[in-house]
Amino acid sequence: MNSLVSILLLLLPTVVLGMVPRAAPIFAAALGEDVDQSAGTLNLGVEGMMLLGTIIGFVIDFETGDFVLAFIVAGLASALLALFHGIATISFKADQVTSGTAIWFIGWGLSGFIYSSLFGKASSPPVVKTIPTLYIPHLTDIPYIGKFLFGQDPVVYALLITFLAVQYFLFHTKAGLNLRTVGEDPLVAEIMGVNPDLYRYLALIFGGFMAGVGGAYITLSLVGSFYFDMTAGMGFIAVALVYFGKWNPVRVLIGSLVFGAVYVLYLALETYFPATPYQFFSMFPYIATMILIILVGAKAHAPAALALPYIKEG
Amino acid sequence: MKGIVKQFPGVLAVDHVDFELYPKEIHALLGENGAGKTTLMNVLYGVYRADEGQILINGKEVKIRNAVDAQSNGIGMVHQHFSLIPVFTVKENLSIGLRTGGFRLNLNQIESKIEEAERNYGIEIDLDKKVQQLSVGEQQRVEILKLLFRGASTLILDEPTSSLTPQEVANLFKSLRALQSEGKTIIIITHKLYEVLDIADRVTVLRKGKVVFKSMKEGLTSQVLTEAMIGRGVELSNYKREKVSSGNSLVVEGLSVRGDRNDEVVSDASLEVRAGEILGIAGVSGNGQKELVESIFGLRKSKRGRITINGNDITNLGVKERIKVGLGYIPEERKTRGAAGSLPLTLNSVMHDHWGQPYLTRGAFNYKAIKKFAGDIISGFKVASKDENVLARDLSGGNLQKFIVGREMIRNSSFLMSVNPTSGLDVGATEYVRNELVAYRNKGGGVLLVSEDLDEVLALSDRIVVMYRGKTSKPVEQKDFDRLKIGAMMLGEGFSH
Repeated sequence: MNSLVSILLLLLPTVVLGMVPRAAPIFAAALGEDVDQSAGTLNLGVEGMMLLGTIIGFVIDFETGDFVLAFIVAGLASALLALFHGIATISFKADQVTSGTAIWFIGWGLSGFIYSSLFGKASSPPVVKTIPTLYIPHLTDIPYIGKFLFGQDPVVYALLITFLAVQYFLFHTKAGLNLRTVGEDPLVAEIMGVNPDLYRYLALIFGGFMAGVGGAYITLSLVGSFYFDMTAGMGFIAVALVYFGKWNPVRVLIGSLVFGAVYVLYLALETYFPATPYQFFSMFPYIATMILIILVGAKAHAPAALALPYIKEG
Repeated sequence: MKGIVKQFPGVLAVDHVDFELYPKEIHALLGENGAGKTTLMNVLYGVYRADEGQILINGKEVKIRNAVDAQSNGIGMVHQHFSLIPVFTVKENLSIGLRTGGFRLNLNQIESKIEEAERNYGIEIDLDKKVQQLSVGEQQRVEILKLLFRGASTLILDEPTSSLTPQEVANLFKSLRALQSEGKTIIIITHKLYEVLDIADRVTVLRKGKVVFKSMKEGLTSQVLTEAMIGRGVELSNYKREKVSSGNSLVVEGLSVRGDRNDEVVSDASLEVRAGEILGIAGVSGNGQKELVESIFGLRKSKRGRITINGNDITNLGVKERIKVGLGYIPEERKTRGAAGSLPLTLNSVMHDHWGQPYLTRGAFNYKAIKKFAGDIISGFKVASKDENVLARDLSGGNLQKFIVGREMIRNSSFLMSVNPTSGLDVGATEYVRNELVAYRNKGGGVLLVSEDLDEVLALSDRIVVMYRGKTSKPVEQKDFDRLKIGAMMLGEGFSH
């Protein structure tokens, strides 16, 4: 037992430093899902949208070498997928769970299809250079905290700004209040002169874009190459983290960091215990998520109109 | 409004209605449930679009396609189900959809504007409270304030007194008169005669979608209005009671129950329903009545306390066992809890009895017996239904309620619990259901009647227990029934805080 504690202590710096990039993709997707759900749309297709983001981001970066462009196009591609989800569930009132599940498989199939048709004949798997981390002289060199605060890659900082913007938008702007009203009761929103469908579409498109960015982050920042199904359920964890976060971006961020920390821990423990099959450790982040969800339990107030289509009478 | 027609699938809800409203008047729109009052007003508010007819304001035709159009014409409506978000504060609720003042939500700035409106109209509400913490009367004030805040000059109130205590009604009427003197025009939709006589200047009566009566209030009597409303002079609330007693009773002692939010919503409640009586529970909704009844029926676990029927302890029994002991339940939500909408009346009829003879033989339904049983209910309780195979959801509210009442009574239950048994029913069905409850009592059954309609409780009960914040009062005997006194108890008088 003592040895395990000392291993964990030894790993602490690695975990703290590594958790941010591991948390980033899931946080991007969860932040988008938070906005979605606040407007009352459940998007279970996040996994598919992330998968589409992994391949589109990879392809664009591989062809152009421009990672900014790659992230944007990946986001837009997934936003397009989200738009389909919106047409089905908002305009045609289809069941959100069913449509979301279909979107998952569409993204899953598309990502494999695009990869195979472009690189299927390559003898060695293609790679891209992962995006560089920031280096600010002196600041990044500060012991302990320098690398943590000033040594992340630019996308992490962009996400942080997006997070602040979303937090401000939801709770300090009129449009944010309107959006949350749509999530609570679209009929009330409409009576008050707010167009529920418009808000739901825009929220979904934002959520799709963020899922695509999250997916692209996996290929472009964490891995540098593409393999099938590489999100490994992170899209669903993102949905779960929104519940853990009680629809508040701050708590979603905390949940993502916990996920990231446990993820790094699993990668590290794997090397310390080579005799144990690595699949055992790879369950850790998911078990951790489950524990988080149980801790929240049924205490949270979900948007009252979540996953309910808005059908007008008369 | 001129020649308004609104057709719903199978129903002509509003049939060529002309409706005139004059500035600064309080106009009552009177009619039974289903007479088309709310539909007509929803047309004026843009919730529905009329199939025919036009709306004129000061002689000019206006098109009202949605609530926003209505609001920009100065029309605001408070529906029976409030258009408020319970988890938002009053301030936030008033700020939804606001178009002025930039992108940022500046609640302080909005607050000062709301306070100005509050002062102008003499309405007082704590703006920082969440709507769910407010009483129904306060929520109604929020709704009215919201409309005034948006510049409404005409207010439509749909059944504004339906869940208010007598004191709150008096308050509401006071505010309405104040608004009138501030130059506002008010329409109240109602089926209560005394409200018309109390507050209206002018009345329009609707029956089956048509205007049948229009008049100024002067010289009107409730007799005239009743006849206009239902087309025949019906004597209300005179029920023949017989004295019966067998000494049996349903007793609840010191019952405490947790609510959905895990807080104690019924605390130390005690009551006794005797065989051959109707025990009424009066109370503003949300004071634990629902949870009390669910706990007695076994749908909700009790934390403390004891429930007995004729001396048999049923506190720890399951629902099925309680039914066997002789307990019946007529829930308020007749479409979702009282019956399974997508199943035919045959199967709905045996919901409590399908586990044994004669309806289940050798593990399979005996449809012949079931059909006969359903048929007995239909004919015995005057359910208007083509046959026994009609789906429960295809019955009208009144007929479904008759069917459920019949089911609970025809099987040999000795105690019956009924929650808001006549809510949403028309006068005919209401009278029928009430008479059946009294008849059941006269045959020696005990009824626990929970109703938000104080008049109903007063008319039917032998004794009344008031519930306030989960606590029960001592029973009030019939000779001591007094509207105002019980109204005060519903607001907490006589309860320890």
